[in-house]
Amino acid sequence: MSPTSVPSDVTALRDRVRRLRPFAGFLARRVLIAVLLAWGITLVTFVLTNMVPGDPVAANLGQRALGDETIVAQWRAEHGLDKSPPEQYLMHLQALLHGDLGMSQQSHRPVGDDLAEFVPATLELAGVAIVVSLVLGVAFGMIAALRRDRPADHALRMLSLIGISVPTFWLALLAFYVFFYRLQLTPGSGRVDPGLGAPESVTGLHTVDAALAGQWDVFASALGHLILPALVLSLYTIALLTRFTRSAVLEVLGQDHVRAGRAKGLPRRVILRSYVLRSALVPIITVAGLAFGSLLSGTVLVEAIFAWPGIGQYAYKSATTLDLPAIMGVGLVVGIVYLVINLIVDVLYGVIDPRVRLR
Amino acid sequence: MATRTNLTALLLATALPLAACSGDGSRTPAAGDGTLVIDTSFDLKTADPGRMYETTGMFVNKALYDTLLTFDGSDVKKPVPALAKSFELSDDGKVLTLKLRSGVKFSDGSPLTADDVVFSLNRVRGMKGTPSFLLEGVEVAKTDATTVTMTSKVPNPALPYILPNPVLSILNSKVVMKHGGTTDPKDKAEKYLNSASAGSGPYKLESLSVSSKVVLRANPEYYGRKPAYGKVVIRNVEAATQKLNVQRGDSQVALNLSGDQVKTVAGSLEVLKTASANVIYLHATRNKSVSKTTPNPKFAEAVRKGVDYQGLLELAGAGSVQAPGMIPSQILGALPQDQAAKRDVAGAKAALKASGLKNPKVKLEYPSEITVNGLPFQPLAERIQSNLKDVGITVDLAPAPISTAADNYRTGKEEMGLWYWGPDYPDPSDYLVFLPGKPVGQRVGWKPGTDKAVEDAGEKAATVLGEAERRQAYHDMQTELNDSGPFIPLIQPSQNIVSATSVTGLKYHPVWTVDVADLGAK
Repeated sequence: MSPTSVPSDVTALRDRVRRLRPFAGFLARRVLIAVLLAWGITLVTFVLTNMVPGDPVAANLGQRALGDETIVAQWRAEHGLDKSPPEQYLMHLQALLHGDLGMSQQSHRPVGDDLAEFVPATLELAGVAIVVSLVLGVAFGMIAALRRDRPADHALRMLSLIGISVPTFWLALLAFYVFFYRLQLTPGSGRVDPGLGAPESVTGLHTVDAALAGQWDVFASALGHLILPALVLSLYTIALLTRFTRSAVLEVLGQDHVRAGRAKGLPRRVILRSYVLRSALVPIITVAGLAFGSLLSGTVLVEAIFAWPGIGQYAYKSATTLDLPAIMGVGLVVGIVYLVINLIVDVLYGVIDPRVRLR
Repeated sequence: MATRTNLTALLLATALPLAACSGDGSRTPAAGDGTLVIDTSFDLKTADPGRMYETTGMFVNKALYDTLLTFDGSDVKKPVPALAKSFELSDDGKVLTLKLRSGVKFSDGSPLTADDVVFSLNRVRGMKGTPSFLLEGVEVAKTDATTVTMTSKVPNPALPYILPNPVLSILNSKVVMKHGGTTDPKDKAEKYLNSASAGSGPYKLESLSVSSKVVLRANPEYYGRKPAYGKVVIRNVEAATQKLNVQRGDSQVALNLSGDQVKTVAGSLEVLKTASANVIYLHATRNKSVSKTTPNPKFAEAVRKGVDYQGLLELAGAGSVQAPGMIPSQILGALPQDQAAKRDVAGAKAALKASGLKNPKVKLEYPSEITVNGLPFQPLAERIQSNLKDVGITVDLAPAPISTAADNYRTGKEEMGLWYWGPDYPDPSDYLVFLPGKPVGQRVGWKPGTDKAVEDAGEKAATVLGEAERRQAYHDMQTELNDSGPFIPLIQPSQNIVSATSVTGLKYHPVWTVDVADLGAK
C-alpha cells in the first residue's frame, strides 16, 4: 500500500457520497418546492374563500342570533374575522408557522385535532384502494395485452370501460344496497359496529390499532367495514390502470429488446417480468400517481354513502360553510399528499429506468 | 366544490328509487339488548348547552340534561314541571317564581342546587353565544335554597315556554367552573362539555364526535324513570343510507327520510309522519333599491294567489300540511286550516293587472344544499316558478350554498327568497320578528311605520296576557300579515321517523325532535 493511496473503505464512502449527493440535492429542491407550494396553497385557499360572496357568520349562527349585532360581532372577533383580510391572512400564516392550524368554526375544535381524526380514516380507505387498484389494474392490463383481441381482452376492456364511466356515488349506493341490504354480506355504516367502541388510537387506522391492541373482534369488524367502500373507491382506478397497462405493454411487446429476448430463448416468465413489465412501468407509474389524486376526490362521495368519517366529508362541510381554517387545513393536507406521491413517482422512475438520472 | 356536490345531491335523488326498492330482509334486534342505534344527518357543532343551537344538538342535550320546565310528550301548548316542581308567573307577566324539586343529583352524585340553576342560566345569557337571546333582558336570582326567580324587563308570558329548551339545561356549576366555565364570553368549558356531560339527565355522555357519532350511557343517578336503553348510539348517516340501515336492522331509528323515501319502506317497520313545526315561506322585498317589482303590494297578492299549495304538499309528501300563517299548527295562535290561502289564477292575474307591472321578472334565492325535514328547496322552487309562470310572472331561480344565500337574506339583498322558520321556542311571541322593523321584517326592507294596521296588531299580541286573549291577538296579527305583508307562508313539511317495531313510545317533538329517554323496548 503506497502512502498516497486512500484506504478502500474511504473510497467506498466517497463513492457513496458522490452517488447520494445528487439525491440529497434533489430532495432539498423538493422540500423547498414543497414549502413554496404549501405557502401558495394557503394564499390561494384564503383568496378564493374570501372571494366567495357570502359570510361564514350566516352559516354558523341561528336566524335570531344573526339579528343581534352584539352576538355577530362577538362571533367575528372570536374567529378573527373582525380584522381586514390581509391582517387575517398574516395571522393565519403566523399561527401556521407555529404549527397551529386555527379553530374550525364547524366543529369548535382545533383544525389539527380534526385532521388527526379524519385523515387516518381516509388514508386507511384510500391506502387499501390504491393497493387493490395497482395489483388488479396491472394484472388485468397485462392479461388483456397478452390475450389481445381474444375473449379475455374484450371482457377486460368492457369492464374497464364500465369502471371508468360509472359514477362513484351511484356505484357506492348500488354496492351498499346489494351487498349490505340484499345479500347481507357486508356490515353497515361507519368504521366499526356501533356496539363495539373504536380501538385506542395509535396510528388512527382502526385495523392496525385494533391488531396492535389485540382486539381481534374490533379488527374483524373494522376490516369488514373497510372492504366494500375500498373496493367501490378502487373500481375507477382499476379500470384506468387496466387501460394504461394494456396499451403500455402492447407497445413494449413489439420492441426489439423483447424480440431479442425471445430469440435468445429466455423463459417467458423472465421476458414478461424483466423485459416487458419493467419497460412498461414508467407510464403505468405516472398514471398511478395521478390516479391517487382522483381517488382522494372520490372519497367525498364514497364517505357520504358509507358514513365514513374522513377528510372528504370534512372538506365538503367546510367548503359550504366557508370555514376558512378547515379549508386551509384540508388544502394543505391534500397538497402534501400530492407532493409526496409525486416525489415517490419521480424516485421510482430512476429505480425502474436507469436512463433517468437525478440531476 | 359546492357545484360538484349539488350535482351529486341531484344525482343521488334520481338514484334513490333504486335504493328504494323495498325488501323484506329487515331483521329486528333482540328486544332489551340494551343498545339503541339512531341514524340521523348531523348538523352537530357542540354538546355544550350554552353554545348549542342545532337540531342534532337539541336532541343530544335533551338526553343528557334536565331543564327547569319541560313539555309532556309532544304537546307544546302547556309547559309542565321538571327540575322545578312548580312555577308561577306574576300578574304583570314580569316575574316567574320557580320552586325546585329536592333530592335531584348530578351524574357525579353531587346534589343539584339553586346556585347551579343561577350559574347555568347566567352562563347562557352572559356568554353571548348563538342562543343567548333566549334570556335577553331576564335576570335570574336565588331567593332561597329551593326558590329561583326570573325577572324580565317587559311582560314575558313566553318564558315558561322558553325554559324547556335544552339550551337552558342545568349544569353542575362546580364541575363546569373547574373546567374553565364562567358566565361571560371568556368561558372555556366547551371542550370539557364535549368530552363529558355535567348534568342530571337520563343519560351521560360517553363519547362525542361532531362528524360521526355520539354515544350515550344511562345515568344511574337519574331521579326520573330509568330509561329503557342502557346505551344509545347516534350516528351521522346520509338519508339514503339511513333507509337501508333501518330496513336491515343495523339501526332501529332513522330520523331524516323524505316523503318519497318513506313511501317504499318495508312493511315490517313503523313509519311516523307528523307535520313539523318548520314553516317554509316565500318573501318579496319591500326595499325599492333592491327591486322595482316586488315592493308593489299587488305583486305579493298575485304571488299569494298564484301559488299551487296542493301541488307543494304533494311534493312534500304525506303528513305535510299547508301553513295558513307564519305560526305553525302546534303553537298557540296558529290560524285554522280554513283560513289558508287557495290557488286562484284568475285572481292572481287580476292583482297583477292592478299592479300595473308589465311582464314582471324576479329573482328567487334559496339555499341549495340544506333540506328541511328531508325536503330540499330545489323542487319547491321549480314548482313555484312554474306556478307563477301561469300568472305571468317570470321567476329566475338563484340557488346558492347556505353561507352565500343566508348572507344575502340577512343583509336584505334578496328580491325574493324561499326560506323556512323553525320555532326557537313554542310560543307565538317568537313570530313577532316578522313585523315591520323587527329582525326578519327588516331583512325584507319592511320599515317600521309603513304598515300601521300590522304594527298595531303586533303590538297588541306582544303585550296582551291570558291564553284566550293571546290566541285571538295572534290570529289577528297573522290575518293582517297575510293581507298586506311581504311574507307568503307555504307549508309545514312532514317529519318522517322510521323505526323498528321493537321501539315504542316514539313521538315527534317540535323542539328536540325525539326524547330518547321516552323510548321503550318490546
